[in-house]
Amino acid sequence: MTGEQPATSSPAPAAAGVPDRARGLARYTADLIPPGTVLVGLARSPYAHARVSSIDIQAALKIPGVLAALTPADFDDIALGHQGADEPVLTRVARYVGDGIVAVAASDQDALLRGIEALHIDYEILPHACSVDDALALDQPLHPAFLDNVARRFSAERGDWEAAQKRVSTWVEGTFQTQAVPHAYLEPRATLVRVYDDRLELVTGTHFPSVLAETYGEIVAGWGARLEVVTPDIGGSFGAKWEHPTHLVCLAFAHRLRRDVAMVLPRRDDMISGRTRVAMRIQMRIGATDDGELIAKETMIWADNGAYTGHGPSVTLAAAIRMDNLYRFSALNAQAQLIYTNNVPSECFRGFGSPQSAFAQEQLIDELAEQLRIDPIELRRRNAVQPGDTTLHGWQVGSCGFNDCLDAIKDRIQTHRRENPMATSDRYRFGYGIAGATHAISNRGYDHRFDRDMMSLAVEPNGVLRIESGEVEIGCGTVDLFAGIVADHLELDRERIRLVLGDTATVPHGLGCFASRTAFFGGRAALDASRRFAQLCGRLAIDIGLPADTAIASVIEAAVTANRTMELRVTGSYEPDHVTVPDESGYGNISPAYTYATHGCCVRVDTATGLTTVVCYWAAHDTGQVLNPQRARGQVVGGVVQGLGFALAETTLVDDRGHMQNPGYLDDRVATFADAVPIECIFTPTFEKEGPRGAKTIAEPPIIPVAACVANAIYDATGARQWRLPMTPEWVWRSLCAKGVLAPDRTAD
Amino acid sequence: MQVTLRVNGKLSEVPPSFIGRRLLDYLRAELGLTGVKEGCGEGDCGACTVLVEGQPMCSCLLLTGVLDGREITTIEGLPETFLAQFSAACAEYGAVQCGYCTPGIAVMAAWLQAGGSEVSAQPITKLLEGNLCRCTGYQQIIEALSALQ
Ligand code: FES
Ligand code: FES
Repeated sequence: MTGEQPATSSPAPAAAGVPDRARGLARYTADLIPPGTVLVGLARSPYAHARVSSIDIQAALKIPGVLAALTPADFDDIALGHQGADEPVLTRVARYVGDGIVAVAASDQDALLRGIEALHIDYEILPHACSVDDALALDQPLHPAFLDNVARRFSAERGDWEAAQKRVSTWVEGTFQTQAVPHAYLEPRATLVRVYDDRLELVTGTHFPSVLAETYGEIVAGWGARLEVVTPDIGGSFGAKWEHPTHLVCLAFAHRLRRDVAMVLPRRDDMISGRTRVAMRIQMRIGATDDGELIAKETMIWADNGAYTGHGPSVTLAAAIRMDNLYRFSALNAQAQLIYTNNVPSECFRGFGSPQSAFAQEQLIDELAEQLRIDPIELRRRNAVQPGDTTLHGWQVGSCGFNDCLDAIKDRIQTHRRENPMATSDRYRFGYGIAGATHAISNRGYDHRFDRDMMSLAVEPNGVLRIESGEVEIGCGTVDLFAGIVADHLELDRERIRLVLGDTATVPHGLGCFASRTAFFGGRAALDASRRFAQLCGRLAIDIGLPADTAIASVIEAAVTANRTMELRVTGSYEPDHVTVPDESGYGNISPAYTYATHGCCVRVDTATGLTTVVCYWAAHDTGQVLNPQRARGQVVGGVVQGLGFALAETTLVDDRGHMQNPGYLDDRVATFADAVPIECIFTPTFEKEGPRGAKTIAEPPIIPVAACVANAIYDATGARQWRLPMTPEWVWRSLCAKGVLAPDRTAD
Repeated sequence: MQVTLRVNGKLSEVPPSFIGRRLLDYLRAELGLTGVKEGCGEGDCGACTVLVEGQPMCSCLLLTGVLDGREITTIEGLPETFLAQFSAACAEYGAVQCGYCTPGIAVMAAWLQAGGSEVSAQPITKLLEGNLCRCTGYQQIIEALSALQ
């Protein structure tokens, strides 16, 4: 596409449902880039920490096909970050290997690569820190405003700690290390910016188009332009795709060149600059009485923020306190700090901070059970949170099926044990493990203004009902769920419904996909919109001279004939009224409902190699009423397998200069078909009166207990506790050595 | 140098600007066959899988120049009867989430159904080891593919 641009936008794309996706008809950002679009690339820092002393772009600009270059000076007063604006678009100080310094725009790929190569950038290398300990010891700040490199501190003290301590007869404790893991979604980050008269249209897969429109909209307004955000189909995210400097680089080039521009990150660039799960060191102790009453829990967390602040603060706070809400403790004390390092910026990742803290907590609960000689399921059962409770952190528990989940897993393990007597040998040891989890459906603290969702229903001139929502389809089944609710409620044919999601020019506001809120909030908005739509149809029917109870489909038909479809448009919404904005320590009823889970597994540990094989896995979830069992099962199985990757294999390896050693799928060890394990998915239904048709949500919870569950099984098999993730053969083998558990043929060498 | 491919049954001559480039780029950028996805560009993920003379291959690893005269099939060129069955099975078993891996898996499924000698000798999980899916955890894809066999 050249200088002439169409003056009006193309119609908003309809989000693809499963049948279209299966036929390869879904359109992701990269599929929408027309030939001839200006391509954008970045020169990235090869150093973990360095000041850019000079930049020369002249040679690059002389290369045929290179159209323009942008440097840090073009973005001087802009910093990105929803929870701590500290990330430059292009930076004068590189804070991780891969930090963007100069951006180049060119008419084709070859010119782009030659242009980037022709840049002259000089660096003054600074001392770097790629671990939280190094960062705390570093005698210079990575960000000038944070002299000790601590980006954020949290402290949450609840209950009467002194009194509680006196009641404790047994303490268990441990220090656990969790790792950074790339989200490894299959669709690399891609951005397309289309230029219209006074308007820039940002096309990119994201969790929150409305927030992007707000954040970037202000910046773009400063350039005298307007911004809309369009969300096409999204090839996975799992908590990664929020704001990103590449968006603004593309917007700036498009504005300057008055041409459509696009940038698709190569997989390696995506991994080194993409974002990772927040790595944490968690020191924890839990105290109980002799008869197994959980009394007190103390948590200290050192979290690796990486170079810039994504959702690290929320994640760290969540890790510090959320899993506490699973049991009826008397007193809690959590301290956490989020520390800047020269690693790739961290982000939220499915489960928020809970997979990290569950790894610590659920192992310690097992440890307590062993010391107190109480069955681990029984210990959890006795202390489990119950419907009607208000937890120490202020969560008002509505429906809660944690006990049912525990019972279901107990039953599965007993049956499996009975039916599969394991041939434990000196070398191969079998063991069972369990772990519990809880998760919030939304997070009222996320946007202090409101936590609301809206949906519009409108009839197109041809009689198709259009659903418009600010939420996005990120692979969890939003399209089918919304369409299903509306189709059911209005008794319409699914074929006559079209969805437009996440196009900020046309759809009503939605906060976006986080904390597993879409089905719950969007579902309630869908029900509200459907009810209003039915009423409207009733009124129109009378007006046209039909009985008030005429079927909706017939009213729509009549409206088409009478040319009155324009009148059939409503907006519904949902905003829970019993949630509260949490205080700084995280206290508050942050979500309209909460979900619960228990997982169980059987593992085989090869004591000669440390290799852990998951033989069987059971996942029991209380997610309220299950609206779509097939979809829900997909979320559970997918979450468990991602969790097994986190537990056993995936990690981000960084060398001593801060270079990522494994920025690719194979080296990162993402699970393949060959790693598929048999997973039984069990729903123990409750009825959540606040949810759409009694439902809660399911996207994030399945990953939370996995690492802890496997660790407990390894302990059961071998007697060796697991203090660090991932539990690769090497580290499990080391833990066996430390315990003196080794196969006879290997103890000799 | 002249390179002519038969793509989804149609003869197409590769223009000079695409000779020496990846088959993936030619299919997507020149022919508009965007069902073929790029996940990694390194042969690791299988999102770009196409059939070359009936054999599944990563189109990100093939240069157009070496393919003169070959028959290439992308998801767009799979028979409608197969696509109808495949998409019905995906819907029934919940085998699609974000869908980015799906076109590559559809091509593999078509190859499985054609049933060569390697196919019968090995389990699906082995044959599809080169196709990554980050969303589903594989179980429901395996169920859908088994139902199609
Ligand atoms: S894009 Fe070809 S294998 Fe990943
Ligand atoms: S469905 Fe998302 S990668 Fe397979």
